[in-house]
Amino acid sequence: MTQSEERPCRPEPEVSRVGAPFWEAARNGKLIIQHCRSCNENIFYPRIRCPKCHSDALDWIEASGKGVIYSYSVVQNNAPSGFLADMPYVVAIVRLPEGVQMLTNIVDCDPDSIHCDMPVEVVFRQVENFDLPLFRPAGNK
Amino acid sequence: MSRLKGDVAVAGIGEVPTGRYPERDCMDGCVISAVQAIADAGIKKDSIDFVIPCGTVFSSAYNSDLVTSRVVEELGLKGIHNNAQVFSGGASSASILKVAGSLVESGIARNVLCVHSDKLGTGLSGQAGIDLFAYAGIHREWEVPFGQHYSSIAGLVTTRYKHETGTTDEQITAVQVSNRKWAELNPNAMFRKPLTIEEVMASKMLSTPIRAKHSNMLADGGAAFIVTSAERARDLTDTPVYVLGSGGRVTHHSLSQEADLTRFGYADAAADAFAEAGLSPKDIDIAEIYDSYPIFELIALEEMGFVERGQGGAFFLEGRTWPGGELPTTTNGGMSSQGHTGGGGGVAILVEAFRQLMGKAGERQVPDARFAAVSATGGTYVDAQIEILGNQIS
Ligand SMILES: [Zn+2]
Repeated sequence: MTQSEERPCRPEPEVSRVGAPFWEAARNGKLIIQHCRSCNENIFYPRIRCPKCHSDALDWIEASGKGVIYSYSVVQNNAPSGFLADMPYVVAIVRLPEGVQMLTNIVDCDPDSIHCDMPVEVVFRQVENFDLPLFRPAGNK
Repeated sequence: MSRLKGDVAVAGIGEVPTGRYPERDCMDGCVISAVQAIADAGIKKDSIDFVIPCGTVFSSAYNSDLVTSRVVEELGLKGIHNNAQVFSGGASSASILKVAGSLVESGIARNVLCVHSDKLGTGLSGQAGIDLFAYAGIHREWEVPFGQHYSSIAGLVTTRYKHETGTTDEQITAVQVSNRKWAELNPNAMFRKPLTIEEVMASKMLSTPIRAKHSNMLADGGAAFIVTSAERARDLTDTPVYVLGSGGRVTHHSLSQEADLTRFGYADAAADAFAEAGLSPKDIDIAEIYDSYPIFELIALEEMGFVERGQGGAFFLEGRTWPGGELPTTTNGGMSSQGHTGGGGGVAILVEAFRQLMGKAGERQVPDARFAAVSATGGTYVDAQIEILGNQIS
């Protein structure tokens, strides 16, 4: 009966073969990224071959879960259908100390308090059938 | 460095008005603009031997028609050796010009018809348009699940740019006002009423700091141009426009993987293009810069070397890009005012550069224009493409 029930769900990740271990780890509350044994590069998002040296010697390592906000935007209107019920929500690019960047949402804070270069930490939230790696202000337990 | 400089030219152009035209079929835009371009070039239709239809976004069925030579059949072109689509989203203009120019330079083709049409204004419902652009070119595993879409993409870039340069919302908004000043003089533009900074700042917030009137508007539209050799162009027309230099850089597919949201690849792309042309930004009479959102026009203008980093906003606000200003910029009104026709937004800007250099821009003609710099970018601003054009060889 409510409007939100009529709205489409948030789209789930279209899981790739190489991305599947990431989503499995996320289900267990772990943020993992790829690491290349040949050239020592840390890699996110997961790739079929190392994007630096094309090696297939790729391991998974657990990231620290820390990061800083490179940039962000608060979506207030005209979101894609699956996100209309979530407005306002914060889209952000977070830079991890491991040297990779990821797109995420910033949660558990007033959007007005968010700023570039703000320290954040990962928090997993279930959305449909997935645990998405989202970020919240660091130390905000 | 390419070998196209001075050897390749555009001989004719065509364009249908951009806007909401429910009664106009998408193929109308192709055929009418192509017929105009053929007539404008003064070329016999059957001496065209290659057709490059730009990709169309609103319908994959329609796009399949383009891929399989429907334009050739509709126009009754009897001398066609190849029909081959070239498409790189908003950067298709640059890709098509590079490909067509190379075909002519190599002798594989003599006269190339480049044509685009799309129906994004009336071929899709409003929410379908938003949803299409929540997926088109956005990574379905790593970005779509977080609500990324084109307004948030522009928001992310604008937020970081403001943070690093201190540019204000008012200065960024001045890009929209500048584009509108030009669109007021453009009979093919969708929006022609004067626009103020206050009006933009009062429009609803989409994705901070991007407001509704910072956004482009999806539209129906079409345009075409004829690429041939410089020699044949001079025989055909008194107003050939020469390709003088080009450059490009692809920096990412997913916005989150871009290393510098405030620069992209414009500086290197422009350096290549200017070097090939033997020109510098101070030689350029018109900057035809791809917008789609104001931040991309601002960053491109700065990174191409027309204005110092962080000074672009003030440059627009002071009216230096307006009609009569020292650097006429995006003189068709850009996608914010002429309208966004998918891959055609960039094509319209490129055709406007040809039009200005041919002296056919009517009320908005930039007097004595000799050289123009044109930018384009596709998808989630994955690339920076620069072309330098002139009505004389530099
Ligand atoms: Zn490697």
